[in-house]
Amino acid sequence: MLKMHFKKGCLAALLALTTHIASADVVMVVHPSNADAIDDKVVKRIFLGKEKKFPGGASATPVNQSADSSVRSQFDESILERSSAQVSAYWSKLVFTGKGVPPTEVANDAAVIAAVAADPTAIGYVDSASVTGDVKAISLN
Amino acid sequence: MKKVLTISTLALAMSTAANADVRINGFANLIGGITSSDDTLYGYDDNIGFGEESLFAIQVSGDINDRMTATGQLVARGSDDYEVDFEWAYLTYQVTDKVSISAGRLRLPLFRYSASLDVGYSYHWVNAPRAVYDVPFNNLDGVRVDYNTFVGDWEINLQAGAGTYENEIAGGKLEGSNTLVFSAEATYEWFKVRGVYGRSNATLEIPDLAPAFAQMQQVSPELAGFLSLNDDSGTFLGLGVEVDQFDWFVSAEITSIETEESFSPKDVAYYVTAGARINKWTPTLTYESLDGNNDIKGLDIVAGLPAQLQPAGAALAAGVQLPFMEEYDVITAGVRYDYDTNVAFKADVSKYTDDIDESNDATLVRVAVNYVF
Repeated sequence: MLKMHFKKGCLAALLALTTHIASADVVMVVHPSNADAIDDKVVKRIFLGKEKKFPGGASATPVNQSADSSVRSQFDESILERSSAQVSAYWSKLVFTGKGVPPTEVANDAAVIAAVAADPTAIGYVDSASVTGDVKAISLN
Repeated sequence: MKKVLTISTLALAMSTAANADVRINGFANLIGGITSSDDTLYGYDDNIGFGEESLFAIQVSGDINDRMTATGQLVARGSDDYEVDFEWAYLTYQVTDKVSISAGRLRLPLFRYSASLDVGYSYHWVNAPRAVYDVPFNNLDGVRVDYNTFVGDWEINLQAGAGTYENEIAGGKLEGSNTLVFSAEATYEWFKVRGVYGRSNATLEIPDLAPAFAQMQQVSPELAGFLSLNDDSGTFLGLGVEVDQFDWFVSAEITSIETEESFSPKDVAYYVTAGARINKWTPTLTYESLDGNNDIKGLDIVAGLPAQLQPAGAALAAGVQLPFMEEYDVITAGVRYDYDTNVAFKADVSKYTDDIDESNDATLVRVAVNYVF
């Protein structure tokens, strides 16, 4: 099992090298028990604090990545359709009007997966190569 | 008294919240400016100055329970010698996911950028266009209800505020009672439209005008009553549109402020702004205009006076109104550079044209650093 993960990791690294950095695939990850239909609109609303629940009505807890990570900037640009600076300007508007608190940020893909695996309400995003069996991956593309 | 009450309520709420989740955020705008020689604009002159628009602020908010949050914002403004003031202090009760009620001292939802007017990082300008945004009633002591929902792909935001405000202008004190403001905003992906209606009973006594009003009282009590600003009903109307296609954006707001039965002129102001986003750079162009140059009010009352009193009546009516008439436009070219996700650098140059007195014309260059944490 461990060996297989290792192999997978090598393969992913090779792929990443051959296909160049910009095309690394960002996938959403949720708790395995989450059966909600999640599309890019839902993700956008949850990560911009406009919706606090999944379409099925269960509460949603977005888990963000730290601002300096490349997965974050890719997520911001492709899913939220804003630069990371704009997303941060957007949140500053909500924070300083008492209207919202930005999603908690964690350090890397592994931390996102740990957080999502431990919380049925959590939703995060990682590089597709980092997905493990502990979470359910949803591709938005 | 009211202020003390608000703050102590907040302090109490904060201490209750102390064990819970307390968030401390802050923001700072450091803005320096210099005008063309021998000119002045927005408090700047031809020596570089940093005190006019710079500010530092700390916000503390704490969750009292699942549904209640206390928020306080301490702001030190350069224009007040960096004296620290509790500009906002309010409690928010989240009734449902869509409805919240806030009470205390809070921002009135008058403009597109009202809520984050002091947070320079949240917009592309060095400062929001003054022709529109520089009003003496941005903060309200009262209650505000916010409602947010989705209708299909449209995001709808409704706000209603009620309460009182108080501010110093022209050396006098402006008070607004029975203030009501309603705003509605609809957003569809790249398109946003908003409308605002507000009304208030305004009272403003300006010491410099007191002798003129005392004379007017003798010439014609009716004229003095008409032109004085004493519990007179004023209205605020605003409309805004925005198209934001990420690579470029255009937006505009127009407002009208009028207190009909008073010496205060009707002001119609608008701005149009456009910009492009090129990686970390956002170059922008903004045109703003204010027209508060109207006919002298009260001349119909003057016409009804005995002939020998008419010249004095007309002179007094004009005397209390002319100092407040303004008509100008400003064109600003600026650039924002996103240094980091919490730091932006900006620079702009503004050309101010006064249509009443061209000796007020000026050019202003500003640089700014915005920080949020």
